[in-house]
Amino acid sequence: MDDHLNGDQITALILGTEDEFVDRHLEACVACGNEVKEMRSAISAFRDLVHTNAQRDDSFWNRQNLAINERLTERRRYLPLQWIWVTAMSVVLVTAVIVARAPRATKNVATDESDKVLLQEVQGDLEVDVPEALAPAVLIADERNEILKNKVVRHTETSQKEGR
Amino acid sequence: MQNDETAVLIPIREETGTAEAAFDDFALLVRSHQQRIYRLLLGMVRDPDVAENLTQDCFLRAYKARASFRGDSSVGAWLIKIAVNLARDHRRTSLREFWQRLFPSSEDFDDIVERQPDPRASQERALLAREEVARVWSAVDELSSQQRAVFVLRFVEEMSLEEIAEATSLKVGTVKSHLFRAIRTLRERFKEGSANG
Repeated sequence: MDDHLNGDQITALILGTEDEFVDRHLEACVACGNEVKEMRSAISAFRDLVHTNAQRDDSFWNRQNLAINERLTERRRYLPLQWIWVTAMSVVLVTAVIVARAPRATKNVATDESDKVLLQEVQGDLEVDVPEALAPAVLIADERNEILKNKVVRHTETSQKEGR
Repeated sequence: MQNDETAVLIPIREETGTAEAAFDDFALLVRSHQQRIYRLLLGMVRDPDVAENLTQDCFLRAYKARASFRGDSSVGAWLIKIAVNLARDHRRTSLREFWQRLFPSSEDFDDIVERQPDPRASQERALLAREEVARVWSAVDELSSQQRAVFVLRFVEEMSLEEIAEATSLKVGTVKSHLFRAIRTLRERFKEGSANG
C-alpha cells in the first residue's frame, strides 16, 4: 500500500476520533497499524508509570496530611501575629512622624531668626569703615593728626610774621 | 486507599447542599482527592518531591480560597484547576527545568522507573519497556505546559475533553488543538528515536 495515513489522521485516531476510511486503512496497512500500536503502547506505558508511582503506602499519605495540617495551623498561628506586627509598626511609624515633625518646626523658626540676626550683624560690621577692634587706634591717630595740623598752622603763622 | 475516584466528578452541591460545606471536613476532602492530585502533578512535573510539595500547596491554596468556591463545578475539578496552575507556575519559574533540559539524564526518572514492579517480565522485555517509557517520558517533557497538562489529564486521568476544558479554563476546541499538537510532538520524537535506534 503506497498511501499511508498522514500525521493528522493518526493523531486523530489516537485521540479517539472515529473515521471509517481510517479504520479500513488500518485493517489493510501493517505499517500504519504498527505506528498507531506503538503510539498507543507508549502512552499506555506512560499512564501506567505515573499510576504506579502515585500508588504510595499509607505512611506517605499520612505524612502528607500531617504536613498540610501543620502548614494550615502555622498559617492560622502566624496570621494574627502578622496583624499585631503591622499594627505595632504603624503605631511606631505614626509616632515617629509626629515626634519628628513637632520639634523640627520650632527649631526651624529659631534657626531662621538667629540667622537673620547674625546676617544683620555681619552687614553692620561690613558697613563700618574701621573694624571695632581698631577703634582706639583710630582715636589716637585722629588726635595725632589734630596735633600735627595745629603745629603746621602755627608754623605757617610764624613764617608769615617773620616775612613781614 | 483513602482516595475516592468517583467523588471527584460529583458536583459538590449534590453532595452536601452548599459549596462551603465541602470545606467543613477539610481532612476528609484532602483524603478523598490527594492521590489524584498527586498523580496529576507527578505526571506534569515528573519529580516526586516537587509533586508532593505542590500537592500540599494545592490543598492550602484551596483552603485559603474556599470562600471563592461557588460550587458551579465539583471540588475535584476545582482542585485539578488549582493543581494545573501550580504545575504551570512551577515549570515557568523553575530554573531546575532549564538544567534538566540541558542535561536530561535525570535521577528522578531512574528512581521512578525502578519503582515500577513487573516481576513477570523477562530482562529483555523489561529493558524494552524501560526504553519505551524513557522515550515517552522525555517526549512529554518537551511539551509546553499547556500541552502537557491536557495530555496528562486526557491520557493519565482519562478525562473527557469537556472536563479538561473546565479544569484548564480553555475551550474544547483549544483543548483538542493542544492534544493534537502534543500527540504530533510525541510521534515526531518517536520517529526520530526509531530512526536513531
